[in-house]
Amino acid sequence: MRLDFAYYPGCAAKQVQKEADVAARAVANALNITLHDMPRATCCGAVSLRETKPAFSLAVAARILSEAEESGRHLVTICNTCLQTLTHANHRFKNEPELLDKINHVIVQAGVRPYQATIQVYHLLWVITDQLDPKVVQAKVVKPLNGLRVAPFYGCHNLRPEEIFDSAAGEKADHLDRLITLLGGEPVAYDGHDKCCGFHVMLSDKREMRAMVAKNCLNAKNAGAEVMITPCTLCDMSMGSFQGPAEKAIGQSIQLPEMNFAQLIAVAMGLNDSAGLNRLHVPPQAALAARGLS
Amino acid sequence: MSENHYTFRIQRNRKAADGRIDSRWVEYPVSATPTTTVLTLLEEIKGEQDGSLTFRQSCRSAICGSCAMKIGGRTRLACKTHVESVAHNGVVEIAPQANQPVLKDLAIDIGPFFTRIHAIRPYLEDGPDTDLVLEQSAYDQVNHVTQCILCGSCYSDCVMAEVSQEFIGPAALAKAFRFVSDPREGQKERRLEQLSHPHMMWTCARCAMCVESCPKDVKPMEAIVKLRTRGIAKGLKDGPGPKHALAFHHDIQKAGSLNEFTLMMRTVGILGTLEELGTAFHLMKKGKVPSPLPHKSKGLEELAKIYEILEEHPLDVETKAKEVVPE
Repeated sequence: MRLDFAYYPGCAAKQVQKEADVAARAVANALNITLHDMPRATCCGAVSLRETKPAFSLAVAARILSEAEESGRHLVTICNTCLQTLTHANHRFKNEPELLDKINHVIVQAGVRPYQATIQVYHLLWVITDQLDPKVVQAKVVKPLNGLRVAPFYGCHNLRPEEIFDSAAGEKADHLDRLITLLGGEPVAYDGHDKCCGFHVMLSDKREMRAMVAKNCLNAKNAGAEVMITPCTLCDMSMGSFQGPAEKAIGQSIQLPEMNFAQLIAVAMGLNDSAGLNRLHVPPQAALAARGLS
Repeated sequence: MSENHYTFRIQRNRKAADGRIDSRWVEYPVSATPTTTVLTLLEEIKGEQDGSLTFRQSCRSAICGSCAMKIGGRTRLACKTHVESVAHNGVVEIAPQANQPVLKDLAIDIGPFFTRIHAIRPYLEDGPDTDLVLEQSAYDQVNHVTQCILCGSCYSDCVMAEVSQEFIGPAALAKAFRFVSDPREGQKERRLEQLSHPHMMWTCARCAMCVESCPKDVKPMEAIVKLRTRGIAKGLKDGPGPKHALAFHHDIQKAGSLNEFTLMMRTVGILGTLEELGTAFHLMKKGKVPSPLPHKSKGLEELAKIYEILEEHPLDVETKAKEVVPE
């Protein structure tokens, strides 16, 4: 099977969370998943554009989806919010032909190829855990995680609303758990694995955002987690980079190393140069070394 | 259908003399067919194993909303939930709703939830915004949210309510949308203005947990999104919530990608940014500072054109409720 995708990393992975992008490309390459850049693709508008300009946000999504479709490839991303935004639009286009016609009528006038609603929107995590034979992944694992206790933090926008996604979502989603097991680690069950990282209220309700980060990280840590992984560059920013401010807000040290799922795969595949661990705010090196992974 | 063995692991709560809640988990074995409801089995436990087990229930038909409780980690109506669908290795974990005070066992004080419902004035008000002519499409939006049975499931699972005593919560906001979108309502604009205050519609973190928890498919978060759109359309753009949202549409239209460098300044202003300087330094330590000149995508003129067309000829893309035909 040829795994060939239009790659949409999202704004965060192009800038502040670029370690996730570097690791994702390296891991995909090692697994023979080809990721093609999308030179015309813009920001998806996230949850905000849907609120301020609902029709424009659908047109922006149609333009992005159309670029992937024109190349004959499904779209793959590493950001939950991009995943949800594009999937939400795609789901509507597939189920509301009149809406698709209306949006196409607009984008065609601007010189954009009309979207035919034929492609799927995937997360790279899903491609790795749903579309590859587990043996193929395991064959590339040169440094099994050796029982490392990993807290899977799914985030919200790859889970809900359940009915729109092109893979198992809601309470049925278990991609991260399967991935951790596949890499030789032990998934940790804890209250918070499917809760919110607070990213989207980071600036507007900062006290609440920090409380969310602290609660999720503490619950994972108290359940025995040695590191946490997320499939989302925005969750990474919250749970990793904002863990320090969250600790300050609650007056308690947490120090749970957090990284993107692709970074942990890179570690297990021995792709250390692409793992980007030095860009993480809560360093995972000691926890990894304790399991013989360095 | 043959019967399976299940273990009901129930959180038993009791108020101690000092007012604090004593919590312990107690296990009860039951046998049932997979489609037996959790409520039936709770009643069986109360009737045959422990008469002191306390929980609320009434209609058994998913319409009164009394039996909402945490079942298998999520808030659900016990009368609507099949035991097999929530059993993990044969164990069904049951606890009271979260985010409100526990009274005894699975019964909670529903006061805080209803205080919030009352706070949005859940009734039509006279005023200048009343539409005098009702179109066929008048209830396209209202009908989304009138199915709410006030069970509190969304509030119990709300991640924002978990960390904020002040947040108005998903059910109250969905109810507010029901009035803002009702053609007969006379105070639509005043309501939107009040809903723009702190801890109201802009405080939702958009996690969609309420969409999943709601047993009646009200989709509170979708109502919150529509409230925000209406608020901005009415020019209610003060505060970090709307400013942040507006920054996105400016950036995408102009540059195709988000200018994260100036996003904070535009959302919380200069004073807010100064207050966050410590955080900024913390982020800088690991090179997590966005470039002031983000990457530009190809074909941006297309985007500008799309924007222009839509400003000149606005498109209504809102989801509409299915038409309700009286039986």
